[in-house]
Amino acid sequence: MPEIEINGNKIELNEEGFMANPKEWNEEIAKALGKAEEGLDELTKDHWAVINYIRGYYLEKELAPMVRKICKHTGLKLKYIFELFPSGPAKGACKLAGLPKPDGCV
Amino acid sequence: MAKTSENGQSYDDRLDNLSVEDCLIIKNEFKKRINYDFAAFLNTCVHCGLCADTCHYYIVDKNPKNIPANKLGLINKVFNRHFDLFAKITPTLTGSKKLSRDMVKEWVDSLFGRCTLCGRCALNCTMGINIPYIIRAARGALAAARLVPPGLQSTVDTAIEKGNNMGIARDDWLETIEWLEEELQDDVNDPDASLPLDKNGTRLLYTINPREAMFFPLSISAAGKIFYAAGESWTFSSDNFDVTNYGLYSGDDSAAGLMSERLVDSRRELGCEALILAECGHGFNSNRWEAPEWLEKKYGFPVKSILQVIAEYIKEGRIRLDASRNKKRVTLHDPCNLVRLGGIVEEQRYILKQSVTDFVEMTPNREKNYCCGGGGGQLAMTRYADRRLETGRLKAEQIKATGAKIVVTPCHNCIDQLMELNKHYKLEIEIKTVAEIVADALVI
Repeated sequence: MPEIEINGNKIELNEEGFMANPKEWNEEIAKALGKAEEGLDELTKDHWAVINYIRGYYLEKELAPMVRKICKHTGLKLKYIFELFPSGPAKGACKLAGLPKPDGCV
Repeated sequence: MAKTSENGQSYDDRLDNLSVEDCLIIKNEFKKRINYDFAAFLNTCVHCGLCADTCHYYIVDKNPKNIPANKLGLINKVFNRHFDLFAKITPTLTGSKKLSRDMVKEWVDSLFGRCTLCGRCALNCTMGINIPYIIRAARGALAAARLVPPGLQSTVDTAIEKGNNMGIARDDWLETIEWLEEELQDDVNDPDASLPLDKNGTRLLYTINPREAMFFPLSISAAGKIFYAAGESWTFSSDNFDVTNYGLYSGDDSAAGLMSERLVDSRRELGCEALILAECGHGFNSNRWEAPEWLEKKYGFPVKSILQVIAEYIKEGRIRLDASRNKKRVTLHDPCNLVRLGGIVEEQRYILKQSVTDFVEMTPNREKNYCCGGGGGQLAMTRYADRRLETGRLKAEQIKATGAKIVVTPCHNCIDQLMELNKHYKLEIEIKTVAEIVADALVI
């Protein structure tokens, strides 16, 4: 299994870079995944708005929110979300928020 | 979300601890799938080896396991051992093999992990063997024992349980459509522009890939804009909107039939004239060609790809396009299930030539095109992600050779794989659906 090392701790990922154990998530992991998976050296306030909304939604419902909900609750435009996370809402934002890979064509 | 375990046991643990009963379930389902066509195909292979260089797995990795004839051979060996008297009594002479635990593992690795059911081998088979058809049937035998790899199985389960393969709740779907409708009204500056839901008696019932509504809604907006420009009578269903059918990939005919039947029922209940399938390769193949077999009945109504509809609009002058709005170089990726296996070949080319100024084909193309590497359920089966990216190298090279800045493909599954190839092979391309590029050229 691939892994990512953060402050000496090894975090297990699946073959596509999603967290193997989503409960282990913390902000340091999000930053490390942002760099490793999305090439983001720094996560801005807007990145965090999206990540924190997705994380909260997931903890409550065990599901990823639809992009409509992400836009509505963060007040950010759809096209801007794609700019923030080059791999898109699933393989970008949801991955950084520590969600498991969603089902379907993603 | 992908479940990694079944009854608390991981998939690999299950494979390591298969019981005699599990093997019997697989054998019995396999027997059920053997009809005359199937049996005739099975022992027809003459080992000419021509299929080897047609398979994107073998071209990229010369492991003999990647040769289609060898994948077929694994199924032949089991068939001979269990269902052919002569081979049964002479296993050394004929190389027949029992469906043992090790054989099941080999089946899983080769039939799920080394095949996208793309059909390129069958096109080049000297004996005309329908190899993906046989591989799919063997997958179906594994499915009977719940041995479809996680991710692919959970996508089938989600679709069966929740009505669509991403588990989108009805209210969330309706909220998304309402939002996109408002965006369309702003875009075309017409408060009456609509994305209709459950409208009875329309000409078309349109479907989508759930990933559009969930994460990538621009393609829904694009289709809505085209329907608006054409003055089309159409609707979505609020309950059954999912064009995908992962039962095609898992090999489970009953699950596949159930999913397709939902679309058939929705069309009847809404009284629409035709069922229109979104830009989804396997969804097209499933619902246009395979479903009547699964459901054991003729449709009696037209089922078309949205590409056929858009091409008709252009021919009939129902929409006007200004190709100069799309000046970047564009190439086209042919989804296997839509093109080689689905027969929709020229419509997308006709549409693109009207919508962009610089269209170049990749080589090879049309029915000879290479799979992107993401088909056959590969995108869902995380365990084979490395192989998927590796086999995608062929597609990445094809794209690079065109010098295109935009790759258009009428399949959301291919789009996701192309997005990953874009990142992995640093292609620096934009990836769009046909409807998106048409919407960019629309003159309203």
